[in-house]
Amino acid sequence: MAPPRISKKRKDVAESDESDDGLAGTALEGVLSDDEANDSGSESDPNSEDFNDPDDDDVGNDFDATSVSSADDDESKPNYKVVKDANGNERYEYAEIDPVYDSDDSDANEKGNTIGNIPLSFYDSYPHIGYDINGKKIMRPATGDALDALLETIEIPKGWTGLTDPQTGKPLELTREQLELLRRLQTSQIPEENYDPYPDLIPYFTSIEEKMPLSSAPEPKRRFLPSKHEAKRIAKLVRAIKEGRILPYKPPEEREREKGEEEEVHYDIWANEEAQERHIMNIPAPKLAPPGYDLSYNPPPEYLPTQEEREAWEKMDPEEREKEYLPAKFDALRKVPGYGEFVKERFERSLDLYLAPRVRKNRLNIDPNSLLPKLPSPEELKPFPTVCQAIFKGHEGRVRTVSFSPDGEWIASGGDDGTVRIWSLNGHQEWVARLSTEEPVQVVRWRPNKETFILAAVAGEDLFFAVPPLVSDALEKASRDVVDLGFGHATNGAVPTTADGAKKEPPAKWSRPGSKLEAAGVLLKATVRASIKTLSWHRRGDFLCTVSPTGQRSSVAIHTLSKHLSQIPFRRLPGLAQAAHFHPSRPYFFVATQRMIRCYDLQRQELVKVLQPGARWISGFDIHPGGDNLIVGSYDRRLLWHDLDLSNRPYKTMRFHSEAVRAVRYHRALPLFADASDDGSLQIFHGKVVSDLMENATIVPVKMLKGHKIVSKLGVLDVDWHPRHPWCISAGADGTCRLWA
Amino acid sequence: MPRIKKKGQAGAAKNYVTRNQAIRKLQITLPDFRKLCIWKGIYPREPRSKKKVSKSSTSSTTFYYAKDIQYLLHEPLLQKFRDQKSLEKKISKALGRGDVTDAARLEGNAARPEKTGKPRYTLDHVIRERYPTFIDALRDLDDCLSMLFLFANLPSTSSVPAKMIARCERLTLEFQHYLIASHSLTKSFLSIKGIYYQANIKGEDVLWLVPYKFNQRIVGDVDFRIMGTFVEFYMTLLSFVNFKLYTSLGLKYPPKFDQLKDENAAELGAFTLEGLTLVNDEPQKQIEDHKPDPKVQAAVNKVLKQIDSKAANGDDAGDAVEVEGEESNDTIDKFEPAAPGGDVLPQPSNLGGSQGALFSNCTFYLSRETPRQPLEFILKAFGCKRVGWDAVLGDGAFTTNELDPAITHQIVDRPPVQNAVEAETEGDDNQTSQKLGANRRVPGRVYLQPQWVWDSVNDGELKEPHLYAPGTSLPPHLSPFVKAMPGAYDPTMPLEEQEPEREALEAEDDDEEVTAEGMDVAEDDDAEDDDAENDFDGVSEDEEEEEADGSDDDAERQRELEAELAGSSVKSKSISKKAKAKEDKLKALSKKSREDEEELERAKGMLSKKKRKLYEQMIYTNTKKNAADEKLRAKRRRLEKEGKRAKA
Repeated sequence: MAPPRISKKRKDVAESDESDDGLAGTALEGVLSDDEANDSGSESDPNSEDFNDPDDDDVGNDFDATSVSSADDDESKPNYKVVKDANGNERYEYAEIDPVYDSDDSDANEKGNTIGNIPLSFYDSYPHIGYDINGKKIMRPATGDALDALLETIEIPKGWTGLTDPQTGKPLELTREQLELLRRLQTSQIPEENYDPYPDLIPYFTSIEEKMPLSSAPEPKRRFLPSKHEAKRIAKLVRAIKEGRILPYKPPEEREREKGEEEEVHYDIWANEEAQERHIMNIPAPKLAPPGYDLSYNPPPEYLPTQEEREAWEKMDPEEREKEYLPAKFDALRKVPGYGEFVKERFERSLDLYLAPRVRKNRLNIDPNSLLPKLPSPEELKPFPTVCQAIFKGHEGRVRTVSFSPDGEWIASGGDDGTVRIWSLNGHQEWVARLSTEEPVQVVRWRPNKETFILAAVAGEDLFFAVPPLVSDALEKASRDVVDLGFGHATNGAVPTTADGAKKEPPAKWSRPGSKLEAAGVLLKATVRASIKTLSWHRRGDFLCTVSPTGQRSSVAIHTLSKHLSQIPFRRLPGLAQAAHFHPSRPYFFVATQRMIRCYDLQRQELVKVLQPGARWISGFDIHPGGDNLIVGSYDRRLLWHDLDLSNRPYKTMRFHSEAVRAVRYHRALPLFADASDDGSLQIFHGKVVSDLMENATIVPVKMLKGHKIVSKLGVLDVDWHPRHPWCISAGADGTCRLWA
Repeated sequence: MPRIKKKGQAGAAKNYVTRNQAIRKLQITLPDFRKLCIWKGIYPREPRSKKKVSKSSTSSTTFYYAKDIQYLLHEPLLQKFRDQKSLEKKISKALGRGDVTDAARLEGNAARPEKTGKPRYTLDHVIRERYPTFIDALRDLDDCLSMLFLFANLPSTSSVPAKMIARCERLTLEFQHYLIASHSLTKSFLSIKGIYYQANIKGEDVLWLVPYKFNQRIVGDVDFRIMGTFVEFYMTLLSFVNFKLYTSLGLKYPPKFDQLKDENAAELGAFTLEGLTLVNDEPQKQIEDHKPDPKVQAAVNKVLKQIDSKAANGDDAGDAVEVEGEESNDTIDKFEPAAPGGDVLPQPSNLGGSQGALFSNCTFYLSRETPRQPLEFILKAFGCKRVGWDAVLGDGAFTTNELDPAITHQIVDRPPVQNAVEAETEGDDNQTSQKLGANRRVPGRVYLQPQWVWDSVNDGELKEPHLYAPGTSLPPHLSPFVKAMPGAYDPTMPLEEQEPEREALEAEDDDEEVTAEGMDVAEDDDAEDDDAENDFDGVSEDEEEEEADGSDDDAERQRELEAELAGSSVKSKSISKKAKAKEDKLKALSKKSREDEEELERAKGMLSKKKRKLYEQMIYTNTKKNAADEKLRAKRRRLEKEGKRAKA
């Protein structure tokens, strides 16, 4: 089994050789592929390899021998010779191809070293430097001493460069042409010597003038005339030079210098000045205020700040300071320091000048007291009530309402205890009747007629008519007659029916109030659908109106005493009705809702006027006996005077009360009116109405009457005037009435 | 039915434009717009109703009058701005391309006023437009002068070129020369901020502020570009105003400027005024260039004589130009009533002439610690021809020799030195004849503190020198610009003349307590407070303790002594008559004031809401003013009291 193993080993070696050959440089490959002989040889190689197993050591030597011999006698042999290789097999050995002129091999030059990419230094210890294609050693060329010795004897060959060709290891030889080329490249000349970069121009057009012109057109005129366009341009330039727009050239430094030296021109800009009227919108900047005493470097001592003032000033934000400086005192001028804020102050001034919006403000340089109206002194406006003359005590709970009798001798009042009381002026209670046990008496009003003595009072939904037994029999008799006059009408009157024939409920039921009350003098009762808040008589005393804000459609009702008849004049009202009054002389009817007062003509059945006092919630109003003016009190603390001829807006608004105004009332004969407020005070005004249409009413506040106590935020609830005297009576929430005179 | 009007189409909405709208319409940048506004004197307005004007809901917009902006559209400066802008664009484009030479060439065309101090444009036409008459320009001179005087004192920086400062200084000095020549300075005031000057030029009062000569501290964010824009305009304005003023005096403008003297800090002395015709050239020079030698003195005398002779025969044709401006043909005639019965009319007085010669007979010498520039200016403006000063204060002095016998007044601002030092310095005197010892006095002249000059000028007379001698504490320096208002506090008047009745009464109370209780100051204060509270009711407990010493009734004193011996219970009986009377007075006063108040309340009720607001506002300001005055009076009362006590 030994031989096969060895053969295998050899094969490995051979193969490695083969592969080495394959890895050799590309130059070799070309040689191999082109060489026919080698081709076939290489084909035979695998076969031959099997044979020369045993003595692989001899291979090199054998080869040497054969190759040498073959080299010697290749001339005589046909193309190849058969030689025995080391194993005794025959081997074709081809002769070297001589590349003659016809040969295809263009670059079969002298045999190269086939060591490939192996550095030459690997062969340093050998006498050869590689192998040729036939496996023969290429001997090292002579170097060193040997060469030196040789050089001594021979002269430098042509083309010697002293360089070594790295490929061959031989000295590199360059031809003269090659050297010239290199030189030209180095000096960056055109590599080819004979190249002419500037060849002679080949004249495409002839420069010779022909004798005969090609065109026979005559020469155009423009060729003989100076150009207009050019003349224009030149004129332009001339003008520019004349005007100094084009300057002769100067170096920039010189120009700079000249410019720096050139003086400003001074001339009288106001030589022919003419004053101009300033535009109306022109607002000149205000001048800075001149310095005051405190800005002095040595001010009077009282201008110097005290320690507290100084601290306060320093603590304050610089923006908030009233003055931007603190007065200071220096005992000599040399001690005055520079003012640190100077630049800043000037800067702020300039900002103000161009950035601050200007507005023209008219400063009133007048004595403020000249604004105040010249009020007549209260002494001139007398008489008006000033002091509390009598206090009427007797009611339990609040007194809601109070009223002077038409003759001015009696005062009727009603309160939360459900009673109606009549007082004489000295404060003595003369008559009392309890109308209701649970409902308070809301309003009492005397019939405005001196021939009768009838008091109308309201408790809840009931309207009572009483004839108190305090006057002469004749008067009482007449009064009773008036009250009873309507009984026939009430029963006989046609009962209104609805469309479907059913009985319609009348707006009010008129009846006797009951024997107990009748005995006391309360003779008649009318019951309406909702509880009544206010009551007002017509001037003749036949009609009276009631307002019950909660009764929706029937909130306002007009009652006829002589017929015991009640009517509802309005189907609907915008808002809750608050109060209603008859006009004192004309057939007008005023109804106040929360925000406005409407005036209706009862005869024509139409709306005449709508007044808008501007109050949020009207509490009550009263009409001036003249009929052209009207005062309105409101829960939002206002008292408003309306002039009916002037506008539907108030003529004067008075806000002197700190709480709601409850009641307002005109005096029937004197130019006075009063209002009652929850702040416990009455205010008396002098309100004079002149019949002249051109003159407005004069209103002067004359007196504040204080005396009522405030009980659960209610003060004075009602006020009424004496028919002739400047006396008034007020009803307070503290259970008293007060007579002021 | 009329067509429904759209909002913002008519009325106030059309009258005003916002700043942004204005800029868009003018097609310039915001800084250019700012410049234009400053120069053309265009300012924002406050419309009567901002809501009606503004088209947007934002409230904080500035509105310009639309006509103003429309008027700006035709401004030639606008074109200059646009040219400059396009040039800048070209330069930046060239730089972007890396074309440096092109950029440099273009840069040569660009005006850089912030570097050179010289713009390509002039503001002449703007001056003419803004101030159609010379008087208009004078009216607006306050800010101009203050600003230029400030800039003349500023150091030059990158934003404030040195040339600008030099020009400011020159213009202001020229203006001061005019004031000196025309004697139109009227008042001046030393404040803690600087020195205020007031001049009356052509009947217009011009007031300006000059900072003290210190390096200006720049605090806060001060934008010098804005100030520079103003200064550019003001410089043009003042140069035209100076020209007009100089020519009105018959002087040549610009005056001759001596560079060398200016470098030696001569300031005012660096200028030489010249007549328009060169007739008066020589005397001018002599007036300006003083040399401390007798030759010049003789020359001055000659000149004075000349001037006198000129005044005598004023119709001399050759001497038409009056440089000094003090003596003129058109003196104001006095109108004497020929017959009684006519109304007396206020007559103009030639104030300038008399005031201008206030210091004309004096020769001043300024010690080296005094501020030379303001003193020189104010002394010369009030007729002083000979002002000398120490050589360290700069060039241009009449004399630098302190021992010059011509000197009549010397302004000194240093504390007197002790005698010990004096002895020491005597040795030095021999070496330097020019300098004097710290405390040596030259006989025959008056030594004064600088405030004397200002107080004399403001009062129009030479004040008494002993009040202003060196080392004495000076009387207060009062502002001459405050106009006395009836009812306002005036520090020059005695306290008794200006306090209201009530205050006087209360003050008297205090006084008495002080005298009665003597030394006990703390208690005294308490009593004062109590008094103030109780006085309103008219019941003063402390008054019971009071003991009046005004009435020197022996018997009364005897009674008091007895009472004191007996004990305090008896004391209460001895309320003096005087105190009682005072109490009554106080009571009456308070009652009256209460009545007045009631009446006022009634009247106020009848005012309309608008008028009431106005009234209350006026009352508010008045009470504020009164409170300030009252405070001052109280302080003065206290100080006077303390002074009295210190004396006693």
